[in-house]
This record gives sequence, structure tokens and C-alpha cells, in this order.
Amino acid sequence: MKRAVAALFSWSLRVDAASVTPHVIRGGFALFVLMSVGPAAVDAFSAAGPGLHFFRSICTLNVMLITVSGVSYFVSAVSEEKDAGTLALLKLAGAPPLGIILSKSTSRLISALMLLMIQLPFTFLATTLGGVTWYQVLAAYAALAGWLGLVANAALFCSVSAPTSGRAAVRAIGLLLGLFVLGPILTALSGLTLPVWVPVSFRSLVTALSKLQQTLMVSNRLNEILSPSGVTSLMGPQFWVSLLVSSTLFVASVLQFNRLAHPTPPGLTRRTRRTRRLTAGRAWKLAVTWKDFLFFTGGFPAMFGRCLMYLGIVVGFLVFHLFDSGLSKRWLSEGLALTCFLTVLGVLTIEILLYAAGLLTHEVEQKTVAPLALVPLDTVRLLAQKSAACLIAIVPGLIVLLLLVLLFHEAIEPLLLPGAVILYLFNVLLCSHLTVLCSLYSRWAALPAAVFLTLIFNGCFPTIVLGVITAVVGMARVNGLQIAPIAVTLINIGWAWMFVLLPLEIEIVRAWKRKTETS
Amino acid sequence: MPAISVSDLSHSFKGHQALSQLSFAVMPETIHGFVGPNGAGKTTTLKIICTLLRQSFGDVQVFGHCVRSEAITVRRLIGFMPDHFSMYRQMTVFEYLDFFAAAYGLAVAQRDQVINDVLTLTDMDGRRDDLISGLSRGMQQRVSLGRVLVHDPDLLLLDEPASGLDPRARIELMEILRELKRMGKTIFISSHILSELAELCDSVTIIDRGMVRFSGPMDALLQADNEEPAFTLQLASPVEDAVDRLQNIPAVTSVEIPEHGDGSELHVTTQSGTETNVLMAAVAELDLPLSSFSKRRKQLNEAFMDLTTRGVRT
Repeated sequence: MKRAVAALFSWSLRVDAASVTPHVIRGGFALFVLMSVGPAAVDAFSAAGPGLHFFRSICTLNVMLITVSGVSYFVSAVSEEKDAGTLALLKLAGAPPLGIILSKSTSRLISALMLLMIQLPFTFLATTLGGVTWYQVLAAYAALAGWLGLVANAALFCSVSAPTSGRAAVRAIGLLLGLFVLGPILTALSGLTLPVWVPVSFRSLVTALSKLQQTLMVSNRLNEILSPSGVTSLMGPQFWVSLLVSSTLFVASVLQFNRLAHPTPPGLTRRTRRTRRLTAGRAWKLAVTWKDFLFFTGGFPAMFGRCLMYLGIVVGFLVFHLFDSGLSKRWLSEGLALTCFLTVLGVLTIEILLYAAGLLTHEVEQKTVAPLALVPLDTVRLLAQKSAACLIAIVPGLIVLLLLVLLFHEAIEPLLLPGAVILYLFNVLLCSHLTVLCSLYSRWAALPAAVFLTLIFNGCFPTIVLGVITAVVGMARVNGLQIAPIAVTLINIGWAWMFVLLPLEIEIVRAWKRKTETS
Repeated sequence: MPAISVSDLSHSFKGHQALSQLSFAVMPETIHGFVGPNGAGKTTTLKIICTLLRQSFGDVQVFGHCVRSEAITVRRLIGFMPDHFSMYRQMTVFEYLDFFAAAYGLAVAQRDQVINDVLTLTDMDGRRDDLISGLSRGMQQRVSLGRVLVHDPDLLLLDEPASGLDPRARIELMEILRELKRMGKTIFISSHILSELAELCDSVTIIDRGMVRFSGPMDALLQADNEEPAFTLQLASPVEDAVDRLQNIPAVTSVEIPEHGDGSELHVTTQSGTETNVLMAAVAELDLPLSSFSKRRKQLNEAFMDLTTRGVRT
């Protein structure tokens, strides 16, 4: 048993060391931290404690990277063996659940800790710049270690319980998103004047959960550590509660391993067959769209589920408003309408990006690239049909968004400036394009890499837009012309598509063709 | 017009020459075997023929259409079954076939007819509502074959269709292929199961290290190099001096009893140019208890071993 576990562990480490992606991520991380030195140097002349500012940016970057790696890197620890159909072989080799989980997840944890190692020189620099003490640094890393443990074990639990890596990633995203979203909801709920029929224990539960969520959030702890009042203890409640929750998740993963690690036996009952005929129906004329809508995005049942989810969000806000200000004659206050709109927009954006991440990889995973490529359609049409399936799938989200705009246009109007709308659309299009492209090269790093690249590009985009506007208006003025704002907007859309999105689309087509050749 | 015409086909991957001036032709309504050791270039050739891969040099035509410039037309004429299972496992058999039929532009009414025909041909009528993930390997292979038939292609390109199948499933698959030939399809099949190919194919191409070693009718291959005709004599019971008596025939050069044989089966080799009826008459005069007399044909695996080189290609 020990030999099997040791072999598996060393093999996992070797595979990890041999793959390029973790090294690229570590290199990118180091580069990003290095770029943060610039603002810190500027701060050194203008504000006190530039080291604190620099160290804060390193911590923020760490939190982002740990969170993203939870849904991309840790989540495939066990599920990748299920995808490859090798989990049964590992069990045959005599490796127990604890051994498999330890060997598969520890190598990933070591890889993540290496990420912390490369920060050491920058940490020295932060303390040298001043404003941050070694005690604060150690406390911050303890908080980050607690967060890393929590995220890694939550992802591990999803990896053990889900039948495929894709589903494990979706569950992990849901879990982490839930943790982030739960805070404001619970805080708001605990502050409500609840009706008399709501039991007192409910309020106590909400308050307790709210406190637990506040304690678990690493951002709160980091703010506390890096605040002027300073840090009181090296390992605060956040570290210990995270440790407790992550240990519970780890034990649950080990105990549930044998029960959950087996994929569901295939087969349809007579009843599900009847339901299936109703939901799947016959293939449409746009067959690829039909296939992806039904078997990638989940089809009509999943669409119905998403409708309920979006309506649930809106109804949740309406109920909250009812309890919060029962005397109000409006359905939602301006602030709540805006928050509701942003929440739906956020969920819709995540939905779009998840579709982008899996649109082509699910063909690669199922080894169906060759039969699909042989369908008498050129690559552009084929990819367009696949994208159309995702567009149909996001219809519920779009409708709810549109309804919110129509019903609460006064509250939402400040957000709907042409520039803001274009910027949002461009960012979503850019990020989804990048995700599709990256997914053809890397399986799980695609989404984090795309978000990372979009964030970098987002830093330059407004400058370019402003530059183009100034140049166009200036040239028009020289020639004695007046340029309408809509013309400037169209010019910006035009160049953004031509110089950014179109090259990406061409590269996606090329990469897909290369994939068909090697399939 | 040949169903497949390959002339001077060359292809290289990152400096590695996978195919070198390959030329052969496949006649319509025949079953053509495509044989070669691992790494010989079979799958690369198949991928080029089915438009998945663009060749570096040379010309490949399917029913007179260039695979490079008329890829979409060629795709309608062919059905390609790759060597690995490539299926949407969460679909049912019917949904899978319906999807590909719709993708090839068939109308709903036409699709119903075609899918029913295909399911009958592959003997999968009873499993139309089953999930593909729940089917056995042999059944998945049948569904895969059904998929390549839904748009009624004239040419079927099958890459190792019998790999991983049990003997019964293999025999049934071969029967289906014979039936498809009777229906007028041209079948280009790559396989390692040489004994079955020898029985099934009308013609064969043997490639090794990216080069054609033989291409032509199966009979021509199996009779090639048979300069000294060989015969098999089966006696009703072993005769002690049968070998001596046979060696006395002037045309006979050697007589051998096969290893582990009891003496009732004899392998006779004669001088080149010896007619079968002359030898038969001479044997009849020996008054041996002859139960059968046949001219020995070279086995496909013997021909394969003669034509290909030892070792795995690097």
C-alpha cells in the first residue's frame, strides 16, 4: 500500500514538474508582482508606507490566484483519473482512498506552495520599502495558507463527488461563489425586521452563519492584518476556522470516496426514455446547434432550471425589499434594483464564460473532433453553429436582464451609458474569445488565463479608446467636421472587432483545424 | 473512374517523412484492404483521403474529386470510421444517428427511413433508445458503422473496425461489410487481422515505412513469387512410404510432413512450371488413399512478412 501511494505521489509530482502550464503561471505571477513594484515606487514619493501598499497588492494577487486555482487546478485532482478511466486501476494497485487523495492532492498543494516561495524576494522588498512589519507578513501568509487549505479541500470534495472534471469545476465555482455571495445576503437578512411568524431560531442561525462567513473570508482578515491598528495575533480565527472546515471537507472526501468515486451506471429507465423523447425531440436543421444546446448546455430542462435560478434571484430581492421596507409602494428600491441587475449580469457573465471554456474541449474529451470535422460544413459555420447553441442557452438570463431594465430603468439608467455598455460587451466578448482559444491548448487553465489576459488588456483598453476618440475628433475638427458620438462609438466598435476580436476568431479557427488534424 | 486515386502522395510531420510518394487506386464496388506495420502511415493516409489532413505533396481524388480543393463534396461521398471510439456517449443510439443524418442535410421523413434501415442492417433495432454509454464495445462499433452509413456514402473508410471486438462480433462485422459491398459500396479497410482481410478483400495495398510495397488484386499478391508450385495432399490414413513414393515423381522437388502432423497431410513442392493436372495424374498412379488435393496459396501474413521489414518504425 505504502509503495503504491509513494509511486503515485512521485508520479503526480513528476507530471506536474514536466507540464509547462504551472511554470508559465508561476512566471506570469512573478511578472505581475514585479509590475506592482512600479506603483509602489510612485507611492514612495507621495505617501507613507509604500511597502504596505506593495505587500497589499501581492496579497490581493495571492487571494485571486488561490481562488481561481481552486476551480481550475485543485478540482481535477481525483476527477482527472475518472475522466481517464484509471481510478479503478489505482484501486486495483492497492491504493486506499486516503492514499489516492493524499498523493493526488499533496502534489498540487506543493505546486501551490511553490507559488508562495517565489514571492520571498518581493516580500523582502516590501519590508525594506517600509510600512509593513515581519509580524504582519507572517500573519498575512498564515491567513493565505488557511484560505489555500479551505479552497483546496472544497475543490477536492467536489473532485471526489463529481463524475467528471467539468462537473467538479461547476460545483467548485458554485461553492466558492456561494461563499462570496452568502456574506452580503446573510448580513442583509440579519438586519431585517422579520415578520412574527419567522422563528427566533432562524434569526440566530442567520446571524451565526453570517459570522462564520465573515470569519472565513480571507479578505476581511487581510484588511485587519494590514490596517494601521496592526495585527493582534499571528493566527487569527480565520486560520483556525478555515483549518477546521477544510479538515472536515478532507475527512468527508476520504469517507465518501468509495461511495462517490464510481460514475453513475449508464442506462435509461422506461420513464426517462419517454421524458427524453419529449425534451430532446428530433435534430434541428442546424444539427450542431441542436446537439450542443441539448448535450452541452443541458437543453430545455437546464434552460428551465436557469429560468428558475434567475427568477429566484429577482424574487429574492423582491422579498428582501418587502421585509426591509414593507410600507414602500415600489417593488424594489433604487439601490436594490441596481444590485439585482448587477447580480443577474454577473451570473450571466459567469454562465457565458463557462460555456466558452467547454464549447470545444468537450469535443476533445469525447474524441469526437474527427466525426464532427467530417460533417459537410466548413469550420467557420461549424463554430458559428456551436456558438449559436450557447446563445440560445443564455436567453433566460438575457430576458431577465431586459425585464429588469424595462421595470427599473430609472435606477439602472446610470449604468447604461454607451461607453459602459460597449466596454462590458467588449470585455465579455474578449474574455470568451480568449477562453475558447486557450481551451484548445490547456484544459483547466483556459478560464483563469483568459480572465488574467482580459484584466491586463482592460487596463490598456480605455486608454486606447480615449486615444482613438481624441484622434478622430481632432482630425474632424482640422477638416471642419462635426463628429456625432454614435460615429465615434461605431469607430471604436469597428477597430476593437477588427484588430482584437477578428484576429482571435481567425486563430480559433486555425487552432481548431490543427486539432482536427491531430485527432 | 477509381473510387480512390492516390498518386505520388507524400506527407511529413515536423521533418519526419510519414508518407513517401504513395500511389495506388481502389476500384468502385470492391473491398480494398490497407495493411502495414504500426507506424507505416496507414492512419495518415486515411486522414488525408477523408479530408481531415492536408497532404504536403501529391494528388488524392475520391470519385474524381480532389480532397484538397473539393473537401465538402468529398465529405458527402465518404463515411469515415476512426480507429478509436468517438461517440457522444450521453446520446441515445437514435439521437446519435439522427444528429449525423441532420448534419448531412437529410429531411426528417428521410431520416426516419434511413435510420430504420441502418439499425436493421447493423442489427441494432432493439437498442435504438439505449444510451450509447451503456452499450458494449461491439454494439458501439455497430452504431459507429451506422453513423458512417446514414448519409448513404459511396465510399467507406474504416480504420481498424474490428479492433477490440470478440470473434463473434468480428465475424458479424465482416458479414455486414460483405452485405454493404453487395449494396454497391466501396470499402477501404485498414486492419491488422490479416486472415479475415484475405477472405474479405478483392484487392490490397501493403505499405511499410510510408512507401507502397504492393498494391493490386489479392490473388495476385497471394500467388506472387510462387515460382515453385506447392500442393497439399490429404490422405485418408497415413501411409508409411508415401513420402518416398511421391519423391519418385520426376517433377517433385520436395515432400514434407507438417510439424505435429500424423503423416496423413503432405506438402509437395514441384519444379517451376509444373501443371496441376500433370502432378495429379502422377499422384493418382501411386494408388495412395487420397482424400483431397489442393494447390497451396501463399497466406496473406506470409506475403505481409515478406514485403515488410522487421521492427517498429521510429
